[in-house]
Amino acid sequence: MSNVTRRGFLGLTSAAALGAGLSACTGGGTSTGAGATQAASNNLRLFTYEDDSTIGLLKAQVKKFDEQNGTTTTVDSLPGSGAAVYPDKLRTELLGGKGPDVWRIWGGQIGAPFAKAKQSLDLSPYYSKYGWDSKINTTAIGGMTFEGVKSGVPFISLGIGAWYNKSLFAKAGVSAAPTTYAELEAVNDKLVAVGVTPCGLGGKYGWDIMRLFEYLLEHTAGPELHDKLLTGAESWDRPEVVEAFTLFKKWQDKKWLPQGALALDPSDVEPWYVQGKTAYTITGPWTEAGAILAAKKSSSAFGNFELPTDKTPARHSGFVEGYMINARTGNADKAAALIDFIVQPATQKAMNVTASTVKGAEPDPKTLPLAAEWAQKYGGNPFYTIQDQAFPKKQADQYFSVQSDLLQGSVKPDAAAKKMQEIVSAWAKS
Amino acid sequence: MTLTAPVQVDVPLESVEPAKTPRTKRGLVMTLVLAVIALFWISPLALLVITAVRPLADFIGNGPLSWPDQLTWANFKDAWGIGNFATTYKNSAILALIKVPLGVLVSAMLGFALAKLRMKFRRTVMFTVFLGLTIPIYITIVPVFIMMRSAGATDSIFGLIGPYLAFGIPFEVLVLQSFFRQLPDEIIEAARVDGAGDWRVFFTMILPLSVPALVTVAILDAVATWNEFLFALILLNSDAHKTIPVGLLNFQGQFANNNTGLAAGILIAVVPILIAYTLLQRWIVGGLTAGSLKG
Amino acid sequence: MATTVALTKPKRGGRWSPWLFALPALIVYVGFLVYPAVSSLWFSLTNWDGLSATYKFVGLDNYLKMPSDPVVVTAVKNNLIWTVVTIAVPTVIGLLLAIALNGKVHGKPVLRLIFYTPAVLPLVSIASIWGWLYNPQYGAINSFLRLIGLDGLAQAWLGQDSTALWAVMVPAIWLRTGFPMLLYLAALQSIPNELYEAATVDGATKWQQFWNVTMPSLRPAHYIVLALSLIDSFKVFDMIYAMTYGGPGTSTQVMGTWMYFNVFQYYQAGYGTAIAVVITLVAIAVGIPYVRSQTKEAS
Repeated sequence: MSNVTRRGFLGLTSAAALGAGLSACTGGGTSTGAGATQAASNNLRLFTYEDDSTIGLLKAQVKKFDEQNGTTTTVDSLPGSGAAVYPDKLRTELLGGKGPDVWRIWGGQIGAPFAKAKQSLDLSPYYSKYGWDSKINTTAIGGMTFEGVKSGVPFISLGIGAWYNKSLFAKAGVSAAPTTYAELEAVNDKLVAVGVTPCGLGGKYGWDIMRLFEYLLEHTAGPELHDKLLTGAESWDRPEVVEAFTLFKKWQDKKWLPQGALALDPSDVEPWYVQGKTAYTITGPWTEAGAILAAKKSSSAFGNFELPTDKTPARHSGFVEGYMINARTGNADKAAALIDFIVQPATQKAMNVTASTVKGAEPDPKTLPLAAEWAQKYGGNPFYTIQDQAFPKKQADQYFSVQSDLLQGSVKPDAAAKKMQEIVSAWAKS
Repeated sequence: MTLTAPVQVDVPLESVEPAKTPRTKRGLVMTLVLAVIALFWISPLALLVITAVRPLADFIGNGPLSWPDQLTWANFKDAWGIGNFATTYKNSAILALIKVPLGVLVSAMLGFALAKLRMKFRRTVMFTVFLGLTIPIYITIVPVFIMMRSAGATDSIFGLIGPYLAFGIPFEVLVLQSFFRQLPDEIIEAARVDGAGDWRVFFTMILPLSVPALVTVAILDAVATWNEFLFALILLNSDAHKTIPVGLLNFQGQFANNNTGLAAGILIAVVPILIAYTLLQRWIVGGLTAGSLKG
Repeated sequence: MATTVALTKPKRGGRWSPWLFALPALIVYVGFLVYPAVSSLWFSLTNWDGLSATYKFVGLDNYLKMPSDPVVVTAVKNNLIWTVVTIAVPTVIGLLLAIALNGKVHGKPVLRLIFYTPAVLPLVSIASIWGWLYNPQYGAINSFLRLIGLDGLAQAWLGQDSTALWAVMVPAIWLRTGFPMLLYLAALQSIPNELYEAATVDGATKWQQFWNVTMPSLRPAHYIVLALSLIDSFKVFDMIYAMTYGGPGTSTQVMGTWMYFNVFQYYQAGYGTAIAVVITLVAIAVGIPYVRSQTKEAS
C-alpha cells in the first residue's frame, strides 16, 4: 500500500467510526421514548414465539378482536427451541426503532432487561383500568413485575413436575408415585434393576438438566434458603449446596439419567418417556399435547406427580409467560385492550392454554386429563422461579457450565459450590 | 498432509496403458470401493428422507432411528403450510434471482478490470478486495443493522441484497479475475483492431468464454444465498418477508420439535438447489481452469 | 503450467474505463463490508449493552479484559484446531475422491452428486441429523460400533469436553468435501495426457508423476479451495451454534459463537464486538500471505 492510500484508509476509518458513533447515539436516543412515540393508528403488530401447534388458534382470536374493534393486527411469530432465538431477535427489533406494539415474553430475568431498558411500558394504569389484579394469579404477576413496575401481563403459569410412563413403573414394581425423596431414589433403583433408564433429561442448552438440580437444591436447602440463594442474599458456598451437587452427580453415576445426557437435545429426550426409553421426565403440562397426544397415545397410560422435596411448603419449579407493550407505541390503549381480550377466560380456553393464570380458564379434563389433574392437585402450590429465569442469560450459562464440569467429574461438589458463589455474587453486586 | 495412496495416483495413467482387461477389473474394484464410501456418505441424508416420509406420531413414538411403521406423503403438505413456503419460497427465489446474477456480473466486471485493463492502484484494489475473504460476516451485523434502520430498509428482502452482494464479491472476483487472466490476449487484441471497445470485448468475448467459471461462482453463490440465516434472521421481521432458512424455525417449538415436518421442509427447501446443481455441474467439470481452452 | 499461462499484459482502454467496470462492485463492497467492519471498531471501545440509549467510551477496556476471560482462551484454542483440521481434511479427502473419480469408474454422475449433496443442506438439518446419529444410547454411530464389537469406543461424543469439538468437525468435513472434490475433478480432467506421456518417457515413477505433473497442474484449483477454506474455517460460527450451542459447558465455544453470545444474549455488545474485532484482525493476519500470493500471481 502506498502512503497516499494508507492515509486515505485511515481517514476513512475515523470518519466511519464517527459516523457509526453518531448514528448509534441518535438511534439510541430515540429509543428512550421521550417525544419519539409513534403516531396512533388502527394497525397493531403482535410478536410471539408460538409454533404451528398453537399459532393458528392465536391468530383466530386476534382476528376476532380486530372484528370487534376495527383494528388490523399483524401476528408475526419466531419459534425456535426454548428461549434460544426469540429474545435476541426481539431485542434487535426494538433496537431497530420500530418494534412490535405487543410482544410475548417469559418472566423473570428473560423479560427483565426489556423493563430495565424501559423498552416496555409501565402497565399499572391498565392494571387498574381492567382489574387484572383480581383476575390474574398474584404470584404470576410477581413474575412480570420488575423493580416494582408491572411491566407485563402474565397469562401462562407453568409448573414443572415428573411425568411418567405407567407401564414402566409397573414393570419395576412401583405401584404409587413417590412421596419422599428417599422413595424417589428407591423408584430409580428399581427401574435400573429392570433395565429402564429412570429420568430422561438433555443437557444441550443447559436448561433441561437444570430442572433436576434445582429440584435437588430445593430438597436440600428448603424454600427459604433456596430463594435467598437465587437472589444472591445467601452464599452458595455452604453444605446444602454441596449436598445438592453431590446428589446431582449421584443421579448420573447411578445411571438414573440417560447415557451422555449432557449433549442430548431436550426436544429429542423429552418424549422418551412416551417411547418407553425412560420411565419419566421432568417437565410441564405442555408435554401432554406435545408428546403424549402427538404420538397418538392415550393419556391414561401416563401420570404425573410433584417431585417430593420433603420440605414445607411443598413447592415445584415454575415460570410465567405473558405480554408486554412497547413503550414507544402510539397505540398503547388498543394494545392493552388486545391483551385484556386475550386474558378473558373464553379466549384462553379457545386458545387451548394448558396452564392459564386466569381464573375460570382451567384445562379441560376431557381433552387434557393429565394437565387438568396437575392443575387441580398442584396448581395452587407455591413455586420457585425456574433457575434459567432467576439468573440473567450470562450467569445462567456460567451456571450450566458448572453443572457440565461437575457431571463430567472435572469439578468436585464443594468446588462447584464455590464456583457458583463466585458467579452469583459477581452478578448480585453489579 | 500426506498422500499415501499409489492406487489413486496411477489412475490418470491408465488411459495410456494398452492392456484392457486389468483396467476394467481395476475400474470395477474402484467403483465398488467408491460405492461403499458413497453409501456411508449418503446415509445421514437417507435418515432425513425417511424422517420426511413417516408420520410424526411414529417418529415421536419410536425415535428417529427406528424403522417407520408406515409411510406417508402428508408431511410434505403439512410442511408446505407450517413453513409458510408459499411466501418464503417466493422471497428466497426473488432474492436469489436478483442477487446471484447481479453479484456475478459486478464481480466479473471488476475481475475484468483487474485482469485485462490498465487500472491505477490495481494491486491496492486487488489486495483490499481479496482481504474481504477473511472478514467474518458477524462483525458487520450491528453496523449494517443500524445502517439499514436509518435507510428504512429493515424487514425487506431488498435490504439483504447489499450485504449479500458484499460478502460474495471477494471470492467471486478472486476466481473470475484469475480465470480471465488465462484467456489469451491475442483474441482481445484482434477484436480491438476491429474497433471493439472495452464493453463489447467484455460482453461478447470475455463472458461467453468464461461460462465454466461464471457457473461455478454462481452455484456457490446461489447455495450461500439460499441458505443464509444470520442476516435474514436479524434484518427481517414479519412473516410476509421471511426467507426459507428463517421459515424453517417454524418447525421448532418452545417445548418440542416437529421433526418429520422439518425433514420434509428441508427437502422442499433444497430441491431447487439440487436441480440447479444437476443441470449446471457439467459446466463446472467442463474445465474451470481455462486450460481446456488452450488445449 | 502457471508459466505457460503468464502473458505479457497489454494495458488498454481509456483512463476511466477500468473504473467504470470496477466501481459497482467496489461501492457495494466498501459500503456493506468495509465500512460496517471498520465502524465496529467504535463499538468495541464502548460499554454499550446493545439495548440502551446511552453508553460510555471505555477505551481499550474490552480488549484488556479478554485475556482473563477463560472462555476466550478456550475459544482461541478451539479456533486454531478447527481451522487446521477443517482446511486440511476436506481438501485431502476431496482430492482423493477426485482422483478416484477421474479414473475408470462407473456411475460417475451419481457418485459426484452423492458426495456433493451435503454441501447444499441448510444448517438446521445438519444439526438435527447428526444429533440423532451421535445419540449415545440410540444413535447410529454407537450402534454401529457395538455391532462391530468395538463397544469400548462407543461414547457420548458430543457430551464430553474431550470429544465434542472433534465430533462437530465430522459433519463440517462431510459438508465441505464436495466442492473441493468437484474443483479438483475439473482440474484433473483438464491436464493434458501428453504431460503424463512425456513423464513416462523420462522414466518418472507414478509417485513422481503425481508430485511433478499432477500437483503443479492443480495449482489454480488449490488456490480456489484455499480461498473457500479461508472463508469458512477461521470464522466458524454456525456449525458450533447449531450443533453444541458452545457446550458442554463452554468447551466448544469458538470466538464467533462467544462474540454472538456476548452481543445478542449477555447484553455486552461492546465486549462482544471487541471479540469480533480480534477474530477479524487474526483472520486478516492469517489471510495476508494468501492474499499477497494471489495479488502477486496477478501481476
